Amino acid sequence: MNKILTVALREFLAVVLTRSFALGILLPPVMIGLVVTLTPLLMNQKPPTVHGHVAVIDHSGVVADELAKASTKESIESRRSHDKKEMAAAAGKAIGVDAKTQEQIAKGVQTPAAAEADAPSLTVQVLPPDTDLETAKANMRANADKRLSDMGPDPRLAIVVIPKACVEGEKSAATGEVTYPDFPLYTSTRLDIEITSDIRKETGKAIVDARLRAGGLDADKVRGLITRPDANVQVVTAAGERKGNEVAQILVPGAFMFLMWISVFSAGQYLLTSTIEEKSSRVMEVLLSAVSPIQLLSGKILGKGAVGLLMLLIYSGTGVLALVAFAMMDLVPWQNIIYLAAYFAIAYFTIAALMTAVGSAVTEIAEAQSLMAPVMMLLVIPMMLWMPITRNPNSMFAQVCSFVPFVNPFVMVLRISGSEPIPTWQIPVSILVGALGVIFAIWAASKVFRIGVLMYGKPPNFATLVRWVRMA
Amino acid sequence: MTAAIEIRGVNKSFGPKVAVRDMTFTIPQGSLIGLIGRNGAGKTTTIRMVMSIIFPDSGEISVLGKKSAVESKDRIGYLPEERGLYKKMKVNTFLTYVARLKGIDSVGLDKRVRAWLERVELLGSAKKKCEELSKGMQQKVQFIASVIHEPDLIILDEPFSGLDPVNARLLSSLVDEQHKAGRTVIFSTHQMSQAEAVCDRVIMVNDGTKVLDDTPQGIRSRFDPKTVEAAPLHPLSDEELANLPRLPGVRDVSRKDDSLLFALDGRESAEQVLARIVQAMPVSSIKIVRPSLEDVFLEIVLKAAKTPEERERLMALAGEWGGGGSSGD
Repeated sequence: MNKILTVALREFLAVVLTRSFALGILLPPVMIGLVVTLTPLLMNQKPPTVHGHVAVIDHSGVVADELAKASTKESIESRRSHDKKEMAAAAGKAIGVDAKTQEQIAKGVQTPAAAEADAPSLTVQVLPPDTDLETAKANMRANADKRLSDMGPDPRLAIVVIPKACVEGEKSAATGEVTYPDFPLYTSTRLDIEITSDIRKETGKAIVDARLRAGGLDADKVRGLITRPDANVQVVTAAGERKGNEVAQILVPGAFMFLMWISVFSAGQYLLTSTIEEKSSRVMEVLLSAVSPIQLLSGKILGKGAVGLLMLLIYSGTGVLALVAFAMMDLVPWQNIIYLAAYFAIAYFTIAALMTAVGSAVTEIAEAQSLMAPVMMLLVIPMMLWMPITRNPNSMFAQVCSFVPFVNPFVMVLRISGSEPIPTWQIPVSILVGALGVIFAIWAASKVFRIGVLMYGKPPNFATLVRWVRMA
Repeated sequence: MTAAIEIRGVNKSFGPKVAVRDMTFTIPQGSLIGLIGRNGAGKTTTIRMVMSIIFPDSGEISVLGKKSAVESKDRIGYLPEERGLYKKMKVNTFLTYVARLKGIDSVGLDKRVRAWLERVELLGSAKKKCEELSKGMQQKVQFIASVIHEPDLIILDEPFSGLDPVNARLLSSLVDEQHKAGRTVIFSTHQMSQAEAVCDRVIMVNDGTKVLDDTPQGIRSRFDPKTVEAAPLHPLSDEELANLPRLPGVRDVSRKDDSLLFALDGRESAEQVLARIVQAMPVSSIKIVRPSLEDVFLEIVLKAAKTPEERERLMALAGEWGGGGSSGD
């Protein structure tokens, strides 16, 4: 036992004390942090400062004024800041954070610097309805190949033409149905995409407003009336109500499974490379003169398992802290974390045994590729099961998968952290099945390991490994 | 006193290839034994079976009075032929790790590691990564790893291969020191001269079978001198040459560079033949050629050859096995 622990300690330290491990552990959270902080900054990137005017040829005679009002610098600014707030609130609501946090997110998205600087200085120039369109385009044609800054003091950036039918409608002679055509918009080659879309939206809005006014309605009132209300979802539980959020219901099981997957896979990968290293550097025989193959195998699996567990603790710890920070801890009952540990152990020991077996059979990492294919298959299955099982944790398919060795720890983690409670008896039974799978995997791995570690030369194929298991 | 190693009727095959065939020998405690044979003769397989790294198909092995080496691993020091180190590990960390695996308490272990590194002039490299050492230095570290736990039985597989003469001598003296401290030492080598110089007994293996098991002196006396080498003072005429094979006690005469080799027929002693040659021709030098272990080995191997083709092939290969070259006196 002492020797197993000595091996385990070395295997643990050999990974944990390296720079690459620290980097590997820190990198994912740092990357996520960067994405979270940088995305709003990038979204608030100032578009190029725009100056110039939009020409309006208004055949209806009732839209141009409205459009001019909407295009002042102040109204563009206020519109943009309103849009961003809405966006942040929607995002916050989707992931289910409370109102206070939604506000904080909105603040983060709406940085003051971005709000003041990027509103373009655009003016609206109303042209008489009988203006020749080609003459109106002349300035834009002349500027087509120039940079925005070289276009002169007040270049024409776009021409909006508002046909009369846009406001009044066209009555079809055949059916008598009234339709409203689209309006033409001519833009300069250099116009920013955000401004183009702004002009489109605001023109459209001004046209609709004009139609409503023509019908004797108050446009603002109508807008207020047709705002679609959203549901404030409350899940009724035995203990009372809790906030419902569909996105979190999909994300939490997925997060649990990925957490486990990453820890298991990384630890397994470490195990594979360390076994191959010991074999290819020929240190294996020195070790085997001091410990038995089964002691070495156990020590290695335990040591790298500790590495995986450490990763799991760091990541899930960060996750739990984040949940506490967002006051969403009710999404993850404490017993689920205990189950996570149990299923991690099952998944890890299974994959570890297979990885060590593969590692012991080959001499170089390149040779391991073909033998890794079946192991990789096992690791890909949980990814494919995520959605179907999370959405229906008690389907026949999910229940059957819960008792298939090798796959069941991942399936059970998805089911347990999902929205529906699952039959209680299935938890101990699936753990038992998992444990039997582990025993089988370690038994088979130890057979392969004993033969493989001293075998050099042509790497065996999968059939040979199976023969080794049956032979020894 | 129980034997350090006892092997009885051991066989081992890998697929169709028989690696060890009906091997039987006993190694008493405290002896220094050389296991010699050409590459692929079955030395390493025998040693690995002794170490319980692989297991015999049939036969019995007992090590230090136990059924297998597994039960006495901590009392055995082993330097494998395929030796390795953790490339990225520091030298002292590696030695500490191996010693801990061999059951040495961590108290005072540091001091022991330092003392050993000092012995082999590697103290300055204690904190270096193993991959930074030269091959010879690595080999010294590996030797320390095999003896640091003061084992009763030390098994060294090809310990001298790849060492320069200075380090080979250093290692030789360290081996001798272990032997003098009362430990049983077995080493395998294909360099017969090495075994001849160090061992108090030699076990010769060929084609998986033990062919000889004796002291170097015993082997020499068993294979009496059968050749006299003489260099003529001046070139001999054809007639003089033709007469030489007719000397009593001489079977055949052949040329070797400027000298003549007189193969004896065994009817007269080497000393008598030597006197006759001096009478028959003026010589600048003359000596009785004593067979080295290598010559003996060659003779045994060639005798074992089943067909003339195999014998020829072995003759061609002979240079390869010798390593040290023929030594006579």
